[in-house]
Amino acid sequence: MAKKLMKGCEAIGEAAVQAGCRLFFGYPITPQNEIPEYLSARLPQVGGTFVQAESEVAASNMLYGASGAGCRCLTSSSSPGISLMMEGVSYIAASELPVVIVNIMRGGPGLGGILPSQSDYLQATKGGGHGDYRCLVLAPSTVQEAADLVMDAFDLADKYRNPVLVLGDGLIGQMMEPVEFKRSTRLEDLPAKSWATTGCKGRERNIINSLYLDPEVLEAHNWKLVRKYEEMARTECRHEFWSPHGDADVLFVAYGSVARIAKTAIDALAEKGVKAALFRPITLFPFPGDALEKAAARVKHVLVSELSTGQMLEDVRFHLGKHRPVSFYGRVGGVIMTPDELVAEALKLAGKAG
Amino acid sequence: MPTVLVEKDRCKGCGLCVSACPSHVLAMSSEINARGYFFPLVEHPDDCTGCRYCVLVCPDLAIQVENKGKTTAPPEALTEKPMHYCPGCTHGVIHRLVAEAIDGLGVRERTVGIAPVGCSVLAYEYFNVDMHEASHGRAAAVATGIKRARPDLIVFAYQGDGDLASIGMAETIHAANRGEKITVIFVNNAIYGMTGGQMAPTTMPGQVASTCPLGRDVTLAGYPIRMVELLKELKTPAYLTRVSVHDPKAIMQARAAIKKAFQHQVNGTCYSFVEVLSTCPTGWGLQPHEACDWLRDNMMPYYPLGEFKTPEKGVVKETER
Ligand SMILES: Cc1ncc(C[n+]2csc(CCOP(=O)(O)OP(=O)(O)O)c2C)c(N)n1
Repeated sequence: MAKKLMKGCEAIGEAAVQAGCRLFFGYPITPQNEIPEYLSARLPQVGGTFVQAESEVAASNMLYGASGAGCRCLTSSSSPGISLMMEGVSYIAASELPVVIVNIMRGGPGLGGILPSQSDYLQATKGGGHGDYRCLVLAPSTVQEAADLVMDAFDLADKYRNPVLVLGDGLIGQMMEPVEFKRSTRLEDLPAKSWATTGCKGRERNIINSLYLDPEVLEAHNWKLVRKYEEMARTECRHEFWSPHGDADVLFVAYGSVARIAKTAIDALAEKGVKAALFRPITLFPFPGDALEKAAARVKHVLVSELSTGQMLEDVRFHLGKHRPVSFYGRVGGVIMTPDELVAEALKLAGKAG
Repeated sequence: MPTVLVEKDRCKGCGLCVSACPSHVLAMSSEINARGYFFPLVEHPDDCTGCRYCVLVCPDLAIQVENKGKTTAPPEALTEKPMHYCPGCTHGVIHRLVAEAIDGLGVRERTVGIAPVGCSVLAYEYFNVDMHEASHGRAAAVATGIKRARPDLIVFAYQGDGDLASIGMAETIHAANRGEKITVIFVNNAIYGMTGGQMAPTTMPGQVASTCPLGRDVTLAGYPIRMVELLKELKTPAYLTRVSVHDPKAIMQARAAIKKAFQHQVNGTCYSFVEVLSTCPTGWGLQPHEACDWLRDNMMPYYPLGEFKTPEKGVVKETER
């Protein structure tokens, strides 16, 4: 397929269609309205269904039903709406159903603002709703990658029977870039779902449930989920290591849009005689901790930068250990750091500040 | 001659069959069954007319009647698992009516039921169809998801009054307003049964509950919500009806209404909603037969029975009900 210039949100919508998603349930919220808007027009063209739900609580529970019935389905929202979806997501994770959720994050807490942010990292990666569960979390940094990861998200959701969260920020959602849809899934090629509630003709009846009144059974279920997350950690970790100027002194750790800003800063730093590199987690859960450890072993300074007050920072510190100093630079509330700000931070660390 | 067959170890001793029998055929035992309950004995078998009222009112499917070579058999759409409901709770009766409708329409193998959070949370153990357990109040949203994903399936939500009319009010109204082709069975027992008898949105004025120990004060808690009346104001076509299960006649009417509701879904006509006035002897602090009388005397005047809206006629006037 040829490249097209598309807005991030629209590319996400089209990628879902190409991945065989035929159902979308959602509620409007800025800055992701272009996803439901796009799909409200696009899904009917492919025999799909778009439902504007009465709330994000309802949307997440519609998703719960539709995925239970064995169909690929999507919802999207932005931070305050994602908070409301946590009820459904907890039930979906507990019942081991495959769904894809897109969060185009905006500044918080509370109503916050409508500009880009990465302040839902902890909610996304540590469960988010009640109970011991995790979503698999993918973080794109370009429109192309957003499209690719949305397609992968549907496969991963089916593979693990687990919710997959695509965590973008307002920048990724709103900017336009060339994008190519690299594959197109035919519905008939999708794996059969023997567990789905599709009517019990010719088989034992299926039950989708998250209630376990026997504590020992519930405990076993919890550990079963943990084994699934461990399997994800063994096989699904993804990252990008970008080191175009040779052995670096400073390692930026950033994901999503911030990683792009860091790349510009890294080139600018090279001109000032400071070698820097980027470690960009693509899966935020599972976190590519081993790869980070290797990348960090070769540098003097580690600088985490986020559009938050330091959320991924906790994971970086956890993986690098308390004896390894890790610096942090964050902007929040919808304010985005410039490459110059990151250059200045790196120069300070390298002892070359002017 | 008709024969009454009592499966005594399914019985929870509620005695509803004894009160329902017009010919006084049954009497409670003085010994207990394997579960520790008294159970009905067929004291005067010769007086049985084969009316099957005992079968209709038994919430535990513990009674069958054999007449002219035919036995009332439990519906295929129910599993054999004994239900966990308190003695005399009418959830069991409503389960059977729903199952009979599913069997009657021949749709068991393409039906998906939604169990709510409430006393009927374990409904997925009892309905012999594919089942999906929803979170508290969201059954209509879950049903929407399933029905939109697979319009060929017959999807029903089974919900209590706290579940549907309080926490799930938004989901209920919007599913009705969108005209989702689902069937909602709304069990109104005027109380939160599962959590121990707290006030529900449907609790009667002055009715004592554990969170209104002096009785529902309408100046603070408002008046009980009449769901059917609320839903009938929506312009979207629907089948909306209210029935009761406090006595055999009412149960027969409820059976017909529930079947009609499912029929509308099978035909693809409209959203269908059946409010079933139900008892909660434990929560109300009454004997099972007293609870049936209390429902009749207190709930029915406030929650009138009948069809409130049909896809053919639209809103049905009070005088036509
Ligand atoms: C989000 C949430 N809030 C509260 C509860 C606790 N809870 C369980 S059942 C119930 C009330 C159910 O009452 P009702 O729907 O009237 O059904 P009944 O038990 O009377 O059949 C409540 C409040 C819950 N499980 N989840």
